[in-house]
Amino acid sequence: MAVMRIGHISVRVMDMEAALKHYTNVLGMRVTHTDADGNQYLKCWDEWDKYSVVLTPSDRAGMNHVAYKVEKDAELDVLKQKIKDYGFAVAELPAGTLPACGRMLQFTLPSGHEMRLFAEKECVGTDVGSIDPDPWPDSIKGAGAHWLDHCLLMCRFDPEKGVNTVVDNTKFLKEVLNFFQTEQVMVGPNGSIQLASFLSLSSKPHDLALVGAPTSGLHHLSFFLDSWHDILKAGDIMAKNRVRIDVAPTRHGLTRGETIYFFDPSGNRNETFAGLGYQAQRDRPVTTWTEENLGRSIFYHTRELTESFINVYT
Amino acid sequence: MHAHDTVQNPAPASLPMAGQAIAMPATSSVTLACTGEQYPCRHDESLLHGMLRLGRKGIPAGCTNGGCGVCKVHVTCGQVHRIGVISRAHVSVEEEAAGYTLACRTAPDTDVTLDVVGRVRRNVMRSVVGGGNATTSESAR
Repeated sequence: MAVMRIGHISVRVMDMEAALKHYTNVLGMRVTHTDADGNQYLKCWDEWDKYSVVLTPSDRAGMNHVAYKVEKDAELDVLKQKIKDYGFAVAELPAGTLPACGRMLQFTLPSGHEMRLFAEKECVGTDVGSIDPDPWPDSIKGAGAHWLDHCLLMCRFDPEKGVNTVVDNTKFLKEVLNFFQTEQVMVGPNGSIQLASFLSLSSKPHDLALVGAPTSGLHHLSFFLDSWHDILKAGDIMAKNRVRIDVAPTRHGLTRGETIYFFDPSGNRNETFAGLGYQAQRDRPVTTWTEENLGRSIFYHTRELTESFINVYT
Repeated sequence: MHAHDTVQNPAPASLPMAGQAIAMPATSSVTLACTGEQYPCRHDESLLHGMLRLGRKGIPAGCTNGGCGVCKVHVTCGQVHRIGVISRAHVSVEEEAAGYTLACRTAPDTDVTLDVVGRVRRNVMRSVVGGGNATTSESAR
């Protein structure tokens, strides 16, 4: 159980001022650091490490890398060897490569996404502290997201040519990084093709989701909220701020999560996600969704896929 | 406010008095060459927003914020201006000079005619799910 959770995600934005307004006023994050290159580091009120989102100025949208946090620094050496033994190239980035962050392992998933592992990041505490804390701080803004919960990566997928990096990523993540599978979507002849894979490291239904697509990219980064009512309020906050909503409040079949999908001002899709759905455990039977119920697995109420949800990502 | 917000939700300068004419914002006509769809679009709103606001169809709508590229169009006739940043992953500087842009970040100055370019990509859900082998293009929708 060395790898614990998503540590941070680094995303490209095309208008930093608009991005900062979005991530602070709509999601309720707080800027904790700005570096000399203009990269911005933000955290949610319920997170204790210094940042979970890094915004980097760019002429395009999308993800730079996603980093997962490992419990102990010494475990990075073990993981480095395991990644090498699996046949993947792995680099070690020295402490301080990212501000307030210890050394990182850097490698590329079969889908082409850059993943990093780190063990140490400056702990600044949650906004309610750790001594006799209140349940929430008075400083909450916008949707008041608790934490960066997970991300969904679109993974290159062309089964007719024998390409399925959903499967390739899943195998690596399970065998080397000790993720476990909670759910999957199986399609094609006899349900033999894995189109989607949901993976966990904790008791949450997913810490990382993978879905097949013509090209790899970032589908969304997701933020945790407590309840269905918080989702509704988040929708109100988005409407007040004229945020482009992709999917209005609804429930997923997969994970049972309650959700809203929306776009940041550069077009990176965000999600506010509520409800822990169920307790994910390593021995819990994997939930499989069949092709016939693909629509229902994603949008439980309408049971229909939408064009933008499938085709739009950065 | 961010420019895009004001475009989506322009506030009236003042409420009109009874019997007073409301100043109408300047509009131009947008024509989609592939479908013949035509709609009026204000000079201070995006080509895509004008279409969506009227419940019309023809240009694929995605993030509406210049990042995802699905609303890529080629302006073949008329004058337009940019109202926000567009992703260089989807429209290069050279393409932009040749009249390509993202409809979510472009407003009309005159009547315009557009070709919907979109991103031609194989739709996984359609090609694998259902056992078909369809190749879809956003320009066909």
